[in-house]
This record gives sequence, C-alpha cells and structure tokens, in this order.
Amino acid sequence: MADREEIEALIARVALGDRAAFRALYAATSAKLNGLLIRILKDEAEAEDVLQDVYVKIWHNAGRYAANGLSPMTWLITLARNAAIDRLRARPRPPGEPPADTADPAPGPEAAAIAAGEARRIAACLGELAPERAAAVRGAYLDGLSYEALARRHGVPLNTMRTWLRRSLIRLRECLSR
Amino acid sequence: MTAPHDLPEEDEALAAEVALGLLTGAEAAEAERRMASEPAFRAAVAAWQERLAPLAGEVPEVAPPPRVARALEARLSPRGPRTTGLFGRLERLRGPVSGALAAAVVLALALLALAPFLGPPRPAPLGATLVAGAGELRFEARYDAAAGRLVVTRAAGPPPAQGQAHELWLIAPDAAPVSLGLIGEAGLAVAYPEPPEGWTLAVSLEPAGGSPTGAPTGPVLAAAPLTRL
Repeated sequence: MADREEIEALIARVALGDRAAFRALYAATSAKLNGLLIRILKDEAEAEDVLQDVYVKIWHNAGRYAANGLSPMTWLITLARNAAIDRLRARPRPPGEPPADTADPAPGPEAAAIAAGEARRIAACLGELAPERAAAVRGAYLDGLSYEALARRHGVPLNTMRTWLRRSLIRLRECLSR
Repeated sequence: MTAPHDLPEEDEALAAEVALGLLTGAEAAEAERRMASEPAFRAAVAAWQERLAPLAGEVPEVAPPPRVARALEARLSPRGPRTTGLFGRLERLRGPVSGALAAAVVLALALLALAPFLGPPRPAPLGATLVAGAGELRFEARYDAAAGRLVVTRAAGPPPAQGQAHELWLIAPDAAPVSLGLIGEAGLAVAYPEPPEGWTLAVSLEPAGGSPTGAPTGPVLAAAPLTRL
C-alpha cells in the first residue's frame, strides 16, 4: 500500500490525464476498494461492476480532489462506499424479505484484527461502546445497512435504532477527538 | 481530529447520517440542500467521512481479477495532458493579449503554416461565446476536433471570488446539465466526444471545488448554443 503522499501525487497526475499514473493508482488501491465493495454488496460480480464505475469516476473527477478537503484514501473509500450504497439501495427486494444480511452482528474477528494506526484508533473507540452498538455502527458503515435493516438485525424498533446509532456516533466522535 | 466544533450536536449526528448514507426521502433531500448551501455542514460531513474511513481497514483486501483493469482501459477515452501542444503554448502567451485574441492569432498562424499540407477542408470548428450581462464576463469555447477536446477560456471579466468557482456545463436538448469541469485561471481543456451543433454550454457560479451535487447549484452566469464558427 502506497503512503498518503504517493496516492496524492498519483491523483494529481491522474487529474492531468496521466494514464500511467492512473494504472499505478489502480494497482495501489483497487484491492482495498474491491474488498470493501465485496463486503458491502456481498456479491463479487456486482462488486467488480461497481469497482469499474468507481475508477471511471476517479479518472474523470481527479481534478476536483484537491478541493474537497478529504485525505486521498478517504476520498477513494468514500467514492467506492457511496457507489456501493447506491447500488444496494437500488436493489429490487421482494416485499417482506429482509435485505441481504450475512455479516456477523457481533464484533467478530475483524474487530479484533490488528489493523493499522487509524483503524486501531477507531476500533478502540468502538470498543468503548456497548458491543451491540459498536456492531450497529459497523453494520451501517461496512455492510451499508439502512436503519430499517439495522433495526431488524438488532430486534429493536426503528426509532430506537436511530436514537442508539446517533448517540453512539456522537460518543465515537468524542472519543476520537480525545 | 481537528474538526470544528461549532455545529450543534443534532447537526453533527445528521452529518454522520449523511456520511453513512442512512437518510432517505425528504430528509436526504434536505441534507443535500444543506450540503450545497452550508460550508460548515459540508465540512462536518467530510469530517465524518474522514473519521469513519479507517473502518474500511477492517475489511480484507481482495485483488480484483485482471479483466477489470482491461475493461477500464477500454472504457476510458484517451486524454492528453491539459497543457500540451498548441493550447499549452497559448496559455503561456497570456498577459497583455487576451486569451481569445491570442487563440485567434495562434490558430490563424498555425492554419496558414499548415494550409499547404492540409487535406480536404474540415467542417468549420464548433464553438460558442458565452457572455454575461452586457459583456463584463465572457467565456470563449472552441472544440478542437483533432485533439478531441473542448477548450474554454475566460476571455473577459474577473475570476470568481475567493471560495467560488466557474463551472462549465454541457446541456443536451431535454437533458440535465452535465458538468465538464471548472474553468480555472488557465481555462479548461476537457476531452469529450464532439457534441452536436445546438447543444448548450453554460457557466454557473459554484462553491470552490465545484457543485457538490452534480447539478448546478449557483446562478447560471452565461449560456450559449454551440455553433459552427
């Protein structure tokens, strides 16, 4: 994985239409984005499809990256995640059937996985929340679950879930700013 | 984190919900509107994206199959660097001579020099002059068919104020505007298939970095149809 400055420099060159830089950026970041897309969509073929769209967007919008104030990986991750969420919410779903929901609601081994600095920090702060609330935050971010799906997964009314999650997020923010 | 702490908790939670993609319907639309009009709210959403992104590190990486890279290569049209060739040199000529005049002079000289070697005459180039008000702000657009690029320069008038940007839009009949990018100090050269005559170019005033929504959010400063020059 290239570091922040390298990714930033690649994005700047992609903004100028540099195809070699685009290939290098793809090589450095596509496995990470693909992993995230597979996690959210739970379908490798669909993830491939969305991954392509994401890199087309990166190619065309790289010129705007500098102005959005995000760190380079956050920009790429956010593009990928938003594209996956759009795809997820647009999926036709037979009425009454719960949305695809195969992830472990408990903070599984992934939460305990030794992750790099930033990831370790957010994992530590999530660890300060009650386990089911941390799981709800992860479910929203990593599984792209809607409030409806989160409420169903945790067996609580939708409004309760919303109150939970909002409180959890504010606590998470406090912890991360310490 | 260095996020500003000037938003009420209610708005912070809302910004987090935007970042997570949890809002739907009217609430989502209202949040979109606030993103477009309130820099502090937009910054709060960005701060949440920044805060949550490390969670992606908990997911194992999965290298995509090589066919994805091949498909991408096929999908992306070739695009040259923005400041090479004729228009790159042209940009360095800026100064006392206005961009449009310099463009005309350089183009005329180039055409004269190349005339004996040119094949059958090409159709006249496609272009437009976009004028705001009584001409206090003017953009010149030309389609460079050889390079497959649309080149737009601000030929008269001041740059946008700090924190704002001029964004160029292409509008097909009965279709929503499509952003072609921001017109910076050096103009904008964007690789694009040749648009048909009669499609409209427009420039709107947007926050720095461009419209956050993908559609024009600020006033349209100038617009004109593309015609053969």
